[in-house]
Amino acid sequence: MSAATASAAVRAPAARPRTARWLLRLHRPALVVWTALVILGAALLLWLAGPLTDAAAEGWRQYNACKWSEKCPYAQDAILRYKDVYNYLTLSLAALPFLVAAWAGAALTGRELESGTARLAWTQGITPVRWLVTRLALPAAAVAAGTSLLVFLHHRAWSAADGRVDTAKNWYDFWTFHTNGPTTVALALAALAAGALTGLALGRALPALAVSVVLTAGVWGLAQWLMPHLWPAVTRVTSLEHGYAAPYSGVDVAKGLAIRGGGHIPEPECYAATTEGCARIFRERGAVGWFHAYHPASHYWPLQLTTSAFLLALAALFTLAAFRVLRRLSGSLRAGKGATA
Amino acid sequence: MSAALQGLPRTVLRLHRTALLVWTAAVAALTGWLLWLNEVTAGSVLASLARCRHADMCRDVFAGLGYSEPTAWIGTLVCYSFLAVAAFAGGALIGRELESGTARLAWTQGVTPIRWLTAKLALPALAVTAGGTVLVLMYRWGWGAHRSLMGDHWSTGDVFVARGPLTVAYGLCALAVGTLAALLLRRTLAALGSAVAAMWLVNLLLTQYRADLWPALTRTSRKPFTLPAGAWQVREGRNAGGDFAVYHPASHFWPLHLVETGVVLALTTLVTTAAFLVLRRRAA
Repeated sequence: MSAATASAAVRAPAARPRTARWLLRLHRPALVVWTALVILGAALLLWLAGPLTDAAAEGWRQYNACKWSEKCPYAQDAILRYKDVYNYLTLSLAALPFLVAAWAGAALTGRELESGTARLAWTQGITPVRWLVTRLALPAAAVAAGTSLLVFLHHRAWSAADGRVDTAKNWYDFWTFHTNGPTTVALALAALAAGALTGLALGRALPALAVSVVLTAGVWGLAQWLMPHLWPAVTRVTSLEHGYAAPYSGVDVAKGLAIRGGGHIPEPECYAATTEGCARIFRERGAVGWFHAYHPASHYWPLQLTTSAFLLALAALFTLAAFRVLRRLSGSLRAGKGATA
Repeated sequence: MSAALQGLPRTVLRLHRTALLVWTAAVAALTGWLLWLNEVTAGSVLASLARCRHADMCRDVFAGLGYSEPTAWIGTLVCYSFLAVAAFAGGALIGRELESGTARLAWTQGVTPIRWLTAKLALPALAVTAGGTVLVLMYRWGWGAHRSLMGDHWSTGDVFVARGPLTVAYGLCALAVGTLAALLLRRTLAALGSAVAAMWLVNLLLTQYRADLWPALTRTSRKPFTLPAGAWQVREGRNAGGDFAVYHPASHFWPLHLVETGVVLALTTLVTTAAFLVLRRRAA
């Protein structure tokens, strides 16, 4: 593959280099695999949203009509199949950015530096900057288009089951939250930039592959950790006897006791025999109620968009760093040329 | 020539020093994590739950998650370590050498291709077996140490693999599959990707048919019944004799586990033979 690029470059030095076409030729297997994955994922998601959801919803309708009676027949297989396929598709979609990171680190920049074809291209009328711009722009378009289509179809499949299938995931479920919206697209773009950067910085395909995947995992963990804090949470204070407001219905941010004067303290351990006993002990410590800071369903889009913006900012940062590393690399190339001349 | 042969294992070690270091560090880290969880975390969780027992109102019901979730993650990592082995074998061990031509260079320097591949496979196989054995023994101890805090079952996909020699068998199989993929494709990344995909598929298929690898027991009754403690229920339904359940009792763990280990090792032998045959054709 790389030999094809090299020979094309040597054969027509006078012609304007067609970086985009070479890139497509060089990474044709990757493009074919990516297209196949997207088509397969889209087909499975359509299957999930249609027949599988309908069958599972019918199973749950039968089950709920049983009203707990013994040995009432219902389509258990359909319910289990829906759950399995949904979970597999959600996890696969969540794993796609890591695949992008591995490919970008190894094949996009790392291998070309290791084999020297990058340096060869830079002597054939392609400026290093243009070389990298093409290498980032075209894959970014393919990655963005593919993942956008898949998260759109995932969201469609998820909402088809919402309220009809009793085991359907909540909007705030750990994996479902991300695979339902643009954060997965943004993570895939950040992974692409991270891969391009590690490939340029390390200059070797396989180490860059490993480091790029680890870096993407770090980015993902950081985004996960920051996500609840990127939008102001709703805080509810409820009476000591009532318990927490709206538990298990959104993204939790903080829980504890509200004390006199408006402060918050973490919930102390209480081993009293009754709820009232604990309430009395808490009241003696100055507590006036429970406070619960959380994100209700209406915060879905603000959280999605702020987290995506954070990930895109990281992608921009990685891209900037990649260009800086490239300048250092091509600077040494120019210096080397000057020395031999 | 004899000098080259003596130096061959050393060359392999020198070349794949980083991989060996990463593997050793991973085994050490997982071992340390298991030790910490069972010697430190479990104690504090149990103490907290004991205080709870004397109160009607207890908000510590999720305290056990601090122990059970990491333990489950360790099981997953031990079980799927074979994917990393497949990536290494397809990519760095064989694929890169064939792509860059260093393999052919070695074959002209007094190392026959067969000896080259034997050394390339024997040393990683040793490392996979040693590291895998440590991981399995540690995981068996950690998994059994505080059963009251865990909610998983011996039939859970990754627990089933991580609790015995099947982990090592999958690792060796991944080594062979990665090697064959690299010899067939002769390109680093293509071999890496297809080796990982192939091993994932092998594991998926065997997990799917795991329950059929040893005859299951069936219980049929007109009256409601419960299966023995620890049983893995495979199927249930109703026939002419009443309700029936097909299940594996806990005592079927070892037969099931060893039969699957045998299947994976047989596949490993086949793939390794194929790899040597392909090598002979390539080198000729």
